[in-house]
Amino acid sequence: MFESLKAFLKGFFSSFKDQSTDYIEFEERELENVFALVLMGSFIGIPSPPTTLVMRIMPHMVREIYVMQRRAADMDDIFGEIAGMFDIT
Amino acid sequence: MKAYLMPKKGFRTIFFIGKGGVGKTTSSAAASLILAKKGYKTLIVSIDPAHNLGDVFMVKLNDKPKRIVENLYAMELDMEKLIKAYLKHLEDNLKHMYRYLTVINLEKYFEVLSFSPGIEEYATLEAIREILQKGDEWDIIIFDTPPTGLTLRVLALPNIAMIWTEKLIEVRRKILDRRRAIENIQGERKFRIEGEEYKLPSREKEDPVMQELLSYKEEIKFVREIITDENRTSVVAVMNAEMLALYETERAHESLKKFKIPFNLVVVNKVIELEEEIPKIKVRMDAQKKVLGEIQQKFKDVDIVRVPMFEEEPRGLKWLERVGGLIIGD
Repeated sequence: MFESLKAFLKGFFSSFKDQSTDYIEFEERELENVFALVLMGSFIGIPSPPTTLVMRIMPHMVREIYVMQRRAADMDDIFGEIAGMFDIT
Repeated sequence: MKAYLMPKKGFRTIFFIGKGGVGKTTSSAAASLILAKKGYKTLIVSIDPAHNLGDVFMVKLNDKPKRIVENLYAMELDMEKLIKAYLKHLEDNLKHMYRYLTVINLEKYFEVLSFSPGIEEYATLEAIREILQKGDEWDIIIFDTPPTGLTLRVLALPNIAMIWTEKLIEVRRKILDRRRAIENIQGERKFRIEGEEYKLPSREKEDPVMQELLSYKEEIKFVREIITDENRTSVVAVMNAEMLALYETERAHESLKKFKIPFNLVVVNKVIELEEEIPKIKVRMDAQKKVLGEIQQKFKDVDIVRVPMFEEEPRGLKWLERVGGLIIGD
């Protein structure tokens, strides 16, 4: 009885915890997206940073490029994402 | 004695710039020879993709310093090889990344990068940086550069690269701030992709991207500090007594001033000196006289040296010594 109550409370709070960082995570993803976009700017026609620098950073950009790609794929539903974040359904 | 060509604070860096074909290579080789004779350990490097430094010394040069005479070493940088080596290094780095990321065809992107505008300038800058980093082995380092346009862009790069790097560091800091904030609440976060898992870096010290940014910034700062320090760097412009060359030198002078790179000497090369008047080339001689007059006026704060046109092409050590004596003075 006590154990299950504990588990319930843990789940209860962890869901709060998850929700609490939604906004920051959204912000983080946006920034990561921008960072990757700027580095690969020559793809979309904006000036690129020093090529040497881009080449040195690229190998460490797995996550950022992944985020950028997902962002590009979800582009048509960006309002959906924001609405979800604000609990508008 | 021209103090701005001698080492003062550490080693001295001298760039010879000018339009194509005015005699940059000959002038720089000649100057290097005299400086070496004065007892300074001198390195002359050709960073012009169309090398002819070896032709002037009449020896074959490669990308390792080769001894010409006592105290004088010369080398020619192979830009294409540098770019290739650079891309190879990068590809190896990328293989590691590919393990996670097969979704995007990055190989194609890098193929494009190697032809992207500016890669040559950046490779040149990298090459200059590498030489400057080992600069303490020498008293004087002389760069024989490609024609003005490219050289000016290369010399402008440290400033531009600095702005980019600083802005990117700013964005990266913001990302890391967010990550740390989330980590404080959620605990350590893992990023999963293609069945692999790794920790999301959230601190500057453990973030490889930030580390690359910071070390790149340091490298750029190092080059910028050297080339803008009048105690360590001098630019020598070589020109002919022609209007077009004068205009270009003037523009170079302006740009260098903007980037705060010290510009100290103009070498007017191939000045025709005749003992008697020859009617057929009188017009040309008048034009030359006019240009020489204008040079005096336009470059008031800069030393001007005239090197006459010789009866034969100044190649080989004997000739170089004669030309160098005129440039360096006693």
